[in-house]
Amino acid sequence: MHQSNRLWRRGGVALVVAAMALTLGACASSSNNAGASASPSAGKPLVIGASISLTGDFADSGKAVKRGYELWASQVNAKGGVLGRKVTMKLVDDASSPTQVVSNYQNLINRDKVDLVFGPFSSLLTVPASQVAKRYGYSFLEPAGGGPKVFAQKLDNLFFVQPAPVVKSGDVFADWILSLPADQRPKTAAYTELDDPFASPIAENVRVRFEAAGIKTVYKQIYPAETQDFSAIMAKVVTANPEVLVGGTQNEDAYAQVKTLVQLKFNPKFAFFSNGANSPLEFPTKVGTQNTQGIMSAGDWFPGSTAAGSADFTAAYIKANGGSADTIDNSSAEAYACGQILQAVAAKTGKIDNATIIATLHQGTWPTVLGDLSWGPDGAPSGTFNLIQWQGGKLLPVFPDAVAKAKAIYPKPNWGG
Amino acid sequence: MSIPSVVRGGVFVAVLVTLPMLGLQHWFLNLLVFVLMYATMSSSWNLVGGFAGYPSLGHAGFFGIGAYTLALIFKDQVLATGYEPFLLLPLVGLVGALVGWPIALISMRTRADVFAIVTITFLFVVQTLAFNLHSLTGGSQGTALPIPPFSAAGFELPFYYVMVGLLVFTMGLTFATMRSKLGLSLVSIRADEDKARGVGVRVIGVKVLAFSVSVGITSMVGAVWAYYESFIYPQFAVDPLITIAMVLMTFLGGRGTLWGPVLGAVILESGQQLLTYQLGAVQLYLIAYALIFLVIILLLPRGILPTIEDRLRLRRRRRRTAAAAALPGGPPSSNVADAASMLGRGAT
Amino acid sequence: MHALVQGVILGILTGGVYALMASGQTLIFGIMKVVNLAQGAMVIMAAYLAYQLFTTFGVDPFLAIPITTILMFGLGVGVELLFLRPLRREDKSELSLLVTFAVALLIEGVLSVTWGTTYRSINAGYANSSWTLGRYQITVVRFWAFVLSLVALGLLFWLLNRTRFGRAVRATVQNPESARLLGVEAQWVSALGFGLGAATAAAAGSVYGLLYPFTPGSHYDLISRLLSIVVLGGLGSVGGAVVAGVIVSTSSAVVAATISPAWSEMTFFIVLILVLLIRPRGLFGSVNRGAI
Repeated sequence: MHQSNRLWRRGGVALVVAAMALTLGACASSSNNAGASASPSAGKPLVIGASISLTGDFADSGKAVKRGYELWASQVNAKGGVLGRKVTMKLVDDASSPTQVVSNYQNLINRDKVDLVFGPFSSLLTVPASQVAKRYGYSFLEPAGGGPKVFAQKLDNLFFVQPAPVVKSGDVFADWILSLPADQRPKTAAYTELDDPFASPIAENVRVRFEAAGIKTVYKQIYPAETQDFSAIMAKVVTANPEVLVGGTQNEDAYAQVKTLVQLKFNPKFAFFSNGANSPLEFPTKVGTQNTQGIMSAGDWFPGSTAAGSADFTAAYIKANGGSADTIDNSSAEAYACGQILQAVAAKTGKIDNATIIATLHQGTWPTVLGDLSWGPDGAPSGTFNLIQWQGGKLLPVFPDAVAKAKAIYPKPNWGG
Repeated sequence: MSIPSVVRGGVFVAVLVTLPMLGLQHWFLNLLVFVLMYATMSSSWNLVGGFAGYPSLGHAGFFGIGAYTLALIFKDQVLATGYEPFLLLPLVGLVGALVGWPIALISMRTRADVFAIVTITFLFVVQTLAFNLHSLTGGSQGTALPIPPFSAAGFELPFYYVMVGLLVFTMGLTFATMRSKLGLSLVSIRADEDKARGVGVRVIGVKVLAFSVSVGITSMVGAVWAYYESFIYPQFAVDPLITIAMVLMTFLGGRGTLWGPVLGAVILESGQQLLTYQLGAVQLYLIAYALIFLVIILLLPRGILPTIEDRLRLRRRRRRTAAAAALPGGPPSSNVADAASMLGRGAT
Repeated sequence: MHALVQGVILGILTGGVYALMASGQTLIFGIMKVVNLAQGAMVIMAAYLAYQLFTTFGVDPFLAIPITTILMFGLGVGVELLFLRPLRREDKSELSLLVTFAVALLIEGVLSVTWGTTYRSINAGYANSSWTLGRYQITVVRFWAFVLSLVALGLLFWLLNRTRFGRAVRATVQNPESARLLGVEAQWVSALGFGLGAATAAAAGSVYGLLYPFTPGSHYDLISRLLSIVVLGGLGSVGGAVVAGVIVSTSSAVVAATISPAWSEMTFFIVLILVLLIRPRGLFGSVNRGAI
């Protein structure tokens, strides 16, 4: 007894740790054949895995993505599944952590041996996750990783499911401005940009094009993410007196900028915010509906869109989750589109394995609720976003003409209606 | 005592080294890599927080420094063998230690709570710098590291073995420290700093050395992590939750012990990874972390290993006293045994 | 020049709120020698409470303060009794840091589960209005926040200087042993003192929610700023915290206005490092308390 106590006390820990490792390891190597079999999978469920941020910083958008995936799965199963196979979504939480997201895709692909995977939320998590998918030959349709670094990896298995790379959100605004007759265009511009992978590049793209067209930059400021007080920055904007304000923003800072401009009683002739102003419910709540008139932004899906499957999507979403078309988060539509693309590949090729998906999606255009999508060799989509504007408390697409539902209002009316 | 210790250590290392050869799955090796990272970091934190009694809340800052240093060294480079980053790890560790040196000098002149304030502030400074120094770090756009050119079949192995090496190095260092004058100095500082100074211990020098070594190791782990992820962002490379994890693991296993931090890391990291994966939308991980922490501090303040040891020692002493009471000479004095075990606490 | 003055105005107005938050933190340190790393989290929690009262019952955030103050006072006392009191004396200094940090995480976790991680802000009707004074804008909200902070600080000073409880607190801060000898119940002072610190966070929280959008993770930014202020003012000195709060907030606003917003964050940290290098006990901290 004395002997065993000493053994436990002194060597015990080392042995316990080793034993735990060995047992877990044994389980790990023997679970080899617990998963998919090598035989043709007709009739077997089609398991699609994805890691989503259900907790942590990206949680709210992550949950919207989850709703989108699940909605698509239930819709497609109601119609018989994909190639006769029932779709099962295996969704796991990555707690908005890049360490966890790598482990999650490792587990999904190598432990649970899912058939396919979809991407996580946010470029920040997409980059490490896409590397894991690439290593094991999995296709990677992802609804939310559209920053330049994602495409800089030059992965042939990656497909960003939105009309264009995120940095191009501002380009549609630049297109529109430059399409106006020369005497109606703005002469001076100010740029307020959030230091964020998706915000400042958008505004910078616009600036480059504007300067080339002769629109003078009278003020530019890149501010850090923790900035809470915009009085100093917007005061400088007011002093510079630009005719167009281009905001490379996310949500909170867009709201703050608009509110500060209202307080400072400054009304530019044109105002564009890459994010924030494209939230159908949040924006009017935060800044006041009467202050939204004429503000522009960019978006892919919007309530009332007539893109492929949009009406079905909207109806089904409201039935499953309640609310109205205005409360649907874009991320849900983007996630839904991932599923639509899979269906299209299956319909076109009669197969639904990773290699087929990777080979097929680089050509042609694919209709989804976001419009018709197509991709270049590095996964960057080759379309454009829609330019949307607030009119009468509603967000309406005004450009390009093919999707426009209303004529653009300009110059921007004064604050308060 | 030392022969069995070396044997135990040897068995541990042998197990770790041979583990991958059992044909383990990728996902399991992946898990082990992360567990080893946290085990190494907790062991290194232990040097400062466990032995010296100075709870540093800013180690994650050095993790980030290590990550970005490696990213800077290898910016825009294509790797030939893929082992180059590993070879340069000691350089990264040196950078971390050099940055830590003045921090320790400024902050360790004062008491533990001011030390904590300085270290936590340092953490936020590093994060802010990571966001603002675009040309160096890429700012919020993040920065890429070269993709490791290892084959998919054996991708995790180089990382695994490097981490085993780092862990063994850290534990060896801890072991050597515990047996040396340095270790005694640290423990005496923790027990009563003023008395230690009075007795002639070079208090500042010892503390600063412990801190520099500790953060140097943490920087190296940060660099390996960055290489493994291939892409780093400021808010993830310099994340207060990394510090909390290290501290919690050390506390759980037992501060000031050799095996405590490792045990804590094994339990918590694998638990956290697997639970987050299995339980899906468990929104409670932050609450769970905090509650576990509070429970440990309040109920099991010395951690698992020392508590187990105490219980066993108590039981042994009772048995010995009972046995000795039967002898004519009366119960022997147990003071020497107690004193020795207090110093060599956890010297398993 | 215009930008500079506008920055100073902004800094002073905001400084009131920071002063209020920091005073609670430094008070807790003075009484219990505990650095409360959960102070920021308590402010955010109060902001959420005020937000909920506003959106559900339409209660104006300023008027919600009595409610949130009482709730948070209770929370503070509870935290002290549950988590800090059981710590053994010799471990207290080391462990109280970790305990309060764990409490901060616990609060953050509860807040994210209850309200999610979308940014919230309290959009009272007057949120966008401002007065024009010459060439300078003064936002209504900020002005009233400043007034409120002054009132709350005034109340705090009255409490500390004119009531028995206050005298007991000051005695404990200055000389714990003598205070105990004179019959001051240290246990009660600790618990009530922590509650008081939490109550100041409550008052500040309502105001914070009006000024800034917040999310459960906002407490990290807050606590790092508060720590700099408290060290500058001198750990344990309420008056010091007030002065330091205004100084640091103004410097930060001036840096944002004249140099760049990116570096205004650094102002807090630079101040902290400078203080520790030049005058570790801060502006009004005393040397013999063994604080530094």
